[in-house]
Amino acid sequence: MATLRRQAYHALLWLIALVFFAPVFWIFLSSLKTTHQLLALTPQIFFAPTTANLVDVVNRPSFTQQFVHSLVMSVIAVTIAIVVAFLAAYSFSRFKPAGSDFLMFLLLSVRMVPAAATIVPLYLMYSAFGWKDNMIGIILFYAMFSIPFSLWILKGFLDGVSQRFDETALMSGAGRLHIMFKIILPQVRPGLIAAFIFNFIFVWNEYLFNYIVGGANTNNVPVGIATGMYSSGGVDWTFIASATTIYMVPIIVMVYFFQRYLLVGMTFGTVRGEV
Amino acid sequence: MVGDASAPKGEEGVGPESHKSYLQKHGYAWGLLVPILLFFIVFNAIPLLWMIGLSFYRYVLTSGMAPVSVGLENYKQLLTANAMWGSFSRTLIFVLLTVIGASLLGGLLGFLFWGSAKMPGRRLALTLLFTPMLLTPVSVGAFYRLMLNPNFGVITYFFGLMTGAREDLLTSPGTAFLTVLLIDVWMWTPFMTLITLAALGSVPSAELEAAKVDRLRWITVLRRVILPHAKFILMLGVLLRTIDAFKTTDQVLLLTSGGPGSSTELLGLRLYRLGFDSLDMGMASTLAVIALFVAIGFTTLYLYVLNLRKQEDA
Repeated sequence: MATLRRQAYHALLWLIALVFFAPVFWIFLSSLKTTHQLLALTPQIFFAPTTANLVDVVNRPSFTQQFVHSLVMSVIAVTIAIVVAFLAAYSFSRFKPAGSDFLMFLLLSVRMVPAAATIVPLYLMYSAFGWKDNMIGIILFYAMFSIPFSLWILKGFLDGVSQRFDETALMSGAGRLHIMFKIILPQVRPGLIAAFIFNFIFVWNEYLFNYIVGGANTNNVPVGIATGMYSSGGVDWTFIASATTIYMVPIIVMVYFFQRYLLVGMTFGTVRGEV
Repeated sequence: MVGDASAPKGEEGVGPESHKSYLQKHGYAWGLLVPILLFFIVFNAIPLLWMIGLSFYRYVLTSGMAPVSVGLENYKQLLTANAMWGSFSRTLIFVLLTVIGASLLGGLLGFLFWGSAKMPGRRLALTLLFTPMLLTPVSVGAFYRLMLNPNFGVITYFFGLMTGAREDLLTSPGTAFLTVLLIDVWMWTPFMTLITLAALGSVPSAELEAAKVDRLRWITVLRRVILPHAKFILMLGVLLRTIDAFKTTDQVLLLTSGGPGSSTELLGLRLYRLGFDSLDMGMASTLAVIALFVAIGFTTLYLYVLNLRKQEDA
């Protein structure tokens, strides 16, 4: 009886997860449909699947290019942000220079503003400096956007590593850089992973800034989806479905394998639980 | 507490220091901050000052005219415009309802998933549950439009089976706001589940077992055992959700672009429309300055709660 109850309980949990997943699954199913099946008046649940849409999307040079842009921008921007944030977090955590709390507060505030508010002045600045549709300009913007949370996450983790490590190493003659990167860095690896995943998801999915400031050389897949929606014959739903399907796979795989770091990132390291 | 932010901290410094090593140490401390300060100055401070400056100017890009100083005119105009108050109150209602909805539902699911450690395929189930918040908001917006299409949308189809009429939920002013709201709840309930799971994970199992032995009623367990440990993480989660809800833009832009009329025009969308539809940089900057103050308020509140937690830990 007890096992039966437990099985029912587990079945209920699975059902809940599947209900939330259902719309996403519908996108996936739609990517396997022909336009005709997709726009049928009665939704088609059982149908002869086709991979033609997915093949078509992958073969579009614009999509592959945007996919590469997304990947390059996400990886490089987040890596830069984590390096910059680690240096700063180490300084804040170990030396507590004057004004560090204030700077951390400012950085976090800036990140809490609606994206459109940040983008208005940046749009003017990028126009004035001629940084529009420039890969480096956009990567640096994404790095800036990823710095505050990385800083908060890493500061929290560094505070958790005892200063004894620094002191003992310093006593035995190790250099400052050696201490930072060889002794302390490995101990905050969970923080590094959490910061990376959280910011990667953000940059990967970012739309507004890329749309406003980007161009053919820098547009990512979300912009590609939003602008590619309208083809000659109205809305190109098969394209949206297949592009979304391909685009979500890397994130979902990443979250499956690094699930326990998701929470640390989503709360800027202030909550350290595992799920 | 799960966090170890309050873990033992070493003593300051490395023993007695000469003046020279003091300088070295501080030079080093500031040296490490050079990259972040450069980022801050170029990408935060300069645009911020630019924005505050522009908020005192009339500057519409389409007019081809140079910025004209108008003093506080933009602020006056903004704070007396009906459209603006409409957008503010709409955002407020949206934030309130989506936060309450996601917190209640997400909290409930968190309690349900708590204690499912032995569930087969738990990691996969949770990953599937989290997908709504991992999807690009652009895709969410675009695809819900298909699913809500009055002719061939799957949601309208089932809705039609229940009510007998296929309605266009996104283009009728009575239902558009509610629909946008429900989609947001769907997207962010998993986040509150994640937070709740973490909060519940912070309750010491020894205390729970003691409560079980004492056969306490569940409401007593909730109030006396669970909440004292879990409340801070839950509060932080709700606050974060509030801040994020206040920023909602992308998926609504794709779903309705703020329409029909302005029935789903949230603050983020209003800003977007001012800045990049009307190209009214002066007004957009003014609104952005106001949004910044709201954000600073939220951040202060967030840090206040965070400090409460640290104090209680200590």
